[in-house]
Amino acid sequence: MASFVKQTFEPVVSTNLYPRSQIDIYLQVIQQDGGMLQACINAATLALIDAGIAMTDYVCACTAGWIEREAAIDLNYIEESSDTSEVTIAMLPKSGKVTLAQMESRLHVDKLEEVLSLAGEGCKQIHQVLDKTIRDRAEDLARKMAA
Amino acid sequence: MPGLISPAERDYILKGIECNIRADGRQRADYREVTLETGVISQTSGSARVRIAGGTDVLVSVKAEIGPVQVDPETGDGADKGQIVCSVECAPSASQQFEGRGADDLNNELTQMMTRFLSNSTSNPSVSSTASAGAGGINLSKLCIIPGQQCWILFVDALVLDYGGNLVDAVFMGARAAIYDTRIPKTEVQDLGDGQFEFEVLDDAEDTEFVEGRENMPICVTLNKIGARHIVDASPLEELCTEARLVVAVNRSGELCGQQKGHDGGIEPSLLLEMIQFGKTTGQTLIKQLDARLQEEADADLAKRQRGEPVHKLGFFAQ
Repeated sequence: MASFVKQTFEPVVSTNLYPRSQIDIYLQVIQQDGGMLQACINAATLALIDAGIAMTDYVCACTAGWIEREAAIDLNYIEESSDTSEVTIAMLPKSGKVTLAQMESRLHVDKLEEVLSLAGEGCKQIHQVLDKTIRDRAEDLARKMAA
Repeated sequence: MPGLISPAERDYILKGIECNIRADGRQRADYREVTLETGVISQTSGSARVRIAGGTDVLVSVKAEIGPVQVDPETGDGADKGQIVCSVECAPSASQQFEGRGADDLNNELTQMMTRFLSNSTSNPSVSSTASAGAGGINLSKLCIIPGQQCWILFVDALVLDYGGNLVDAVFMGARAAIYDTRIPKTEVQDLGDGQFEFEVLDDAEDTEFVEGRENMPICVTLNKIGARHIVDASPLEELCTEARLVVAVNRSGELCGQQKGHDGGIEPSLLLEMIQFGKTTGQTLIKQLDARLQEEADADLAKRQRGEPVHKLGFFAQ
């Protein structure tokens, strides 16, 4: 899990701006109900932005899978542990580029496109939520600093 | 965060404590403001988050699981008792000194302390009314499901999220609050005859039991000896100036449930007695206040549920 997060963020964080220094990302899982990797990536994105570390874009992650006869996003623990296939996508919303695609189960290649596009939609939704949170917080801080 | 302290800073703190004025304006016997909330983790049997103003942040969770009884090979004790398994972990992000394996020693020390104070049973038969409860106050016999076979095991896990001094007190306050909040499902035991038993865990979320003896759980008061005086609730810089540290575990009735001395310095016997006495009275006051707030929170939650309103926990959104 840690290596996935690392390889997801390495190309996005502008490490050239921070020579001779190390950025540690600590992820503490308090409880989980499925979608741990996607939550870790989304949390790391927010934390890096909160720390003021320069990144080229947000990294938004979402899971999607095929349950019964339909594709669905954000599977919970029960859905994950049953016989469904699940893929985790991490995407840079501005360019639409996928920086992480991870799947451990079997999925028929015909269904892959639908699942991937659905996960992409999910990432865009996550991006809106993350962006709104960051902007609200920045406005809040700016107001408090100006007062 | 720093592991070093300059002689000037050390002198400042020392002289201040002699005059009963600490670096942040408190007196020697003053605690910082404590914020506490229970029921913050939904997938646990009980949980609590304790924050001490100044930075200490501890999350304690209790998970009740069913497992085999543990019988002591020498005394044969334990066949009809449940177990409490404690563990403390300091997150690497809590402080710079906890990076990598830096927190290992502290984790071990706190885990051993919690285990000793909470789950050891007294082997003294003259303690009649609390014979089935150990120093931890919790009635372990009530946690047994089938004697000799299955029992409830309470896993108490404390996670230190942020370090601002006085970890021990925060961990024990959190543990007490988490156990207060813990609900254990009821079990139905069927006697199949022939010494065979079968049990079923009742799945009703409303029909659960509290941990018996939870009011008798101790909390700890940490007293730091600096110079010739002692203080409670030390900040990180004050902890660096500490010559000797005494942790006193006391329960609601004022009984001493354990103590531990730390650091390299020595404590004169007269001061030791004074510190223990002080720890005892402070601890009792703390327990009273803690219990009052826990009861208030529990009553408010119950009232909300009865009105059909959802109970929202602030959790990590609490300022």
